[in-house]
Formats: sequence, structure tokens, C-alpha cells
Amino acid sequence: MEMMPGQFMLGKLDDVARWAQSSSVWPLTMGLACCAIEMMSVTNSTYDIARFGSEVFRASPRQADLMIVSGRVAQKMAPIIKRLYDQMADPKWVISMGACASSGGVFDNYAIVQGVDTVVPVDVYVPGCPPTPDGLLYAVNLIQQQIRQGGRGGIFARA
Amino acid sequence: MPSSQTPSIAGTAIDPTALRPPLDDAEIVRIAPSDLYAKLEALRAEGFSMLLDIGGVDYLGREPRFDVVYHLLALPTVAATVAEIGKPRRLRLLVGVPAEETVLPSAISLWPSADWAEREIYDLFGITFTGHPDLRRIQLPYDWVGHPLRKDYPLRGPGREATPRPPFALKSNVPAGTPPSGKVAAALQKQIARARGQDVPAETDGEKK
Repeated sequence: MEMMPGQFMLGKLDDVARWAQSSSVWPLTMGLACCAIEMMSVTNSTYDIARFGSEVFRASPRQADLMIVSGRVAQKMAPIIKRLYDQMADPKWVISMGACASSGGVFDNYAIVQGVDTVVPVDVYVPGCPPTPDGLLYAVNLIQQQIRQGGRGGIFARA
Repeated sequence: MPSSQTPSIAGTAIDPTALRPPLDDAEIVRIAPSDLYAKLEALRAEGFSMLLDIGGVDYLGREPRFDVVYHLLALPTVAATVAEIGKPRRLRLLVGVPAEETVLPSAISLWPSADWAEREIYDLFGITFTGHPDLRRIQLPYDWVGHPLRKDYPLRGPGREATPRPPFALKSNVPAGTPPSGKVAAALQKQIARARGQDVPAETDGEKK
């Protein structure tokens, strides 16, 4: 985009769309375990996810762009997560937050899914047990970066 | 009260009535499955108005294999003295269930709170309750196979038990009792020894250049 000497800018429509999209990645209100506490704290004034336009946690998957899998995924929860993911409109992104969501973590047992990437495709993994809110913010930033640099998203977005 | 169902294996060591003194003011009573319903009925009539919970225990290798534990509470309707106020009676009823016949009568007609508790026992231990109107799984998915709180249920699930654990899962790859190795471990051991007031061991391999 370039600034013109009046009050307007010129740019490719796709770039503008990507800029708008990356600045309003709305997460789904979905907390699974203790990581959800850290996820909630990114919205408070200390971390303030609103700086990146992602403070609007939507209660409906139809309005959400980003699924933050914040915690261990029980075998019983897995089909529900898959269904929520399917209900989200394209383009959509998934953050696997913490050790449990990414690999099962310490729960190497029959009840816990060993990595949520066996259920839904994951874009960014956040390490930690739990990750700091900064870690989650960085993951959101990485997704924004992907969108702006020509990943999924923009006006030519498709599934 | 001594147990009427003495475990044949490992003696009384794993019989909770022998192992532990009664907690708080709860009386512990052990009873045979055939007498269970009559006893529950009598207790209900006696004033045990609340069934707080039903628990299950798997003493694999003992005979009978399972224990089902009824936690009962009697709230005094009219306190005879001031000292009695707020002093409910508690009773813990232990029922030994043999592995060959994991069937008990349902207590749902006496206490509706038995509903979910019995479903949970059925779900996790595979003990069925005759007379329960809706004995489905409650915690695991309906299509689950097996009863995970049985001690012979594979911890990582039947499907994965045969697969080797991933190499990064050191926590489970290292057999118990393996001495720690490496620089960090040596430093840690030194610290522990110092904290315990022991002589700090001489230079170990980990610390040498």
C-alpha cells in the first residue's frame, strides 16, 4: 500500500482484505482445562489481546475465526471439538494451546486424546504447561502474520 | 466390626476395615450382596434419609474382587438435646462383589440419588444394578468398550497398550530406580545432599571437564 498526497491510500484489494481479516481474528469461547485460565487472562488489561483485535470471544462457532484448544481433550470431547470446528466458517484457524492439547501432556492414558491434531488441523502449537498469556498472544501474532503474508484468508479465501 | 468376608489373598492388609480406623464418626459395616437390599431398606426406615454417594473399589486378586461402598447420612429430625444439633449419623456400608457375579440390587427405589452414582459404578467398574431404569454409561462415551477403573484395564487404553511409548516420554521410559545422569542431575544431587546435611560427594563424572 502507498500513501497518496491527499486523504486516501492505494493498495491491492486482497492486501486490504488481509489487513482487515488479520486485525479481527475472533476466537471461539471454548475453555477446556486450566489453560483456559491463561486464555482468559489475555483479555485483561495486563496482556490486552484487544491490541491485536482478537478480544471478541464469540459464543457461536458461526461467528468465530479462531479455535483455541486450551487444555486436555477427553475422548468424549473430541467429537464435540470436531463438530465445533466444522461449524466455523472458512477461513478458520486453530491454536493448540499447551502440552496437553498438543501431545496429551502428562495424561498418557486411555481417556485423553494424544494431540488435538488428530481431530482438527492445527496451525500453531503453543508450548508450556500452561503457556504464558504472552505465548498465546505470540501464537495469535503468528496467525496474523500468516494471513498478511498470503496464507489462507483474503478475498480469494476458500476452504 | 470384623469383616465377615475375609480376603483370601494378601490377608487383611487390603481390607479397608482392617487397614484403617473409622474416619470421623462414620460407622463401617460390611455386608454380603444377598443381604444388601434388606439392609438398605432397614437403614432407610431407620432414618438414613440421604445416600451421599456410592463408590467402587477394585481389589484385584482379592476374593471378593470388588467393594461397593454406600455412604449414608441420617439427619436428626428432632434433636433431643442441644448437643445433638448438627450431629448427623454417618454410615459406610461395604459390599463385597465377586468377579463372577457383578450384580447388585439397585437402591434407586429407596434413594433417587442412587441414579447417577450407580450409572457411574456401572460405567467404570462394570457392576450392574438390577432394577435401575436407565443403566447407561455416564462419564465415558456410550460406545466405549471396557471398564477403565478395573485394575486389569490397560492404562493407555486397549488400542495403544501394544505400541511403544515415544522416545521423548522419558518419564515413562526410564525404569524406576535408575540413577540420574548428566551435569544437571549431578548438580541437583549435590544440592539435595547438602540440604540433607550429608557430605557432598566427591567430583562425579558429570562435573569433570
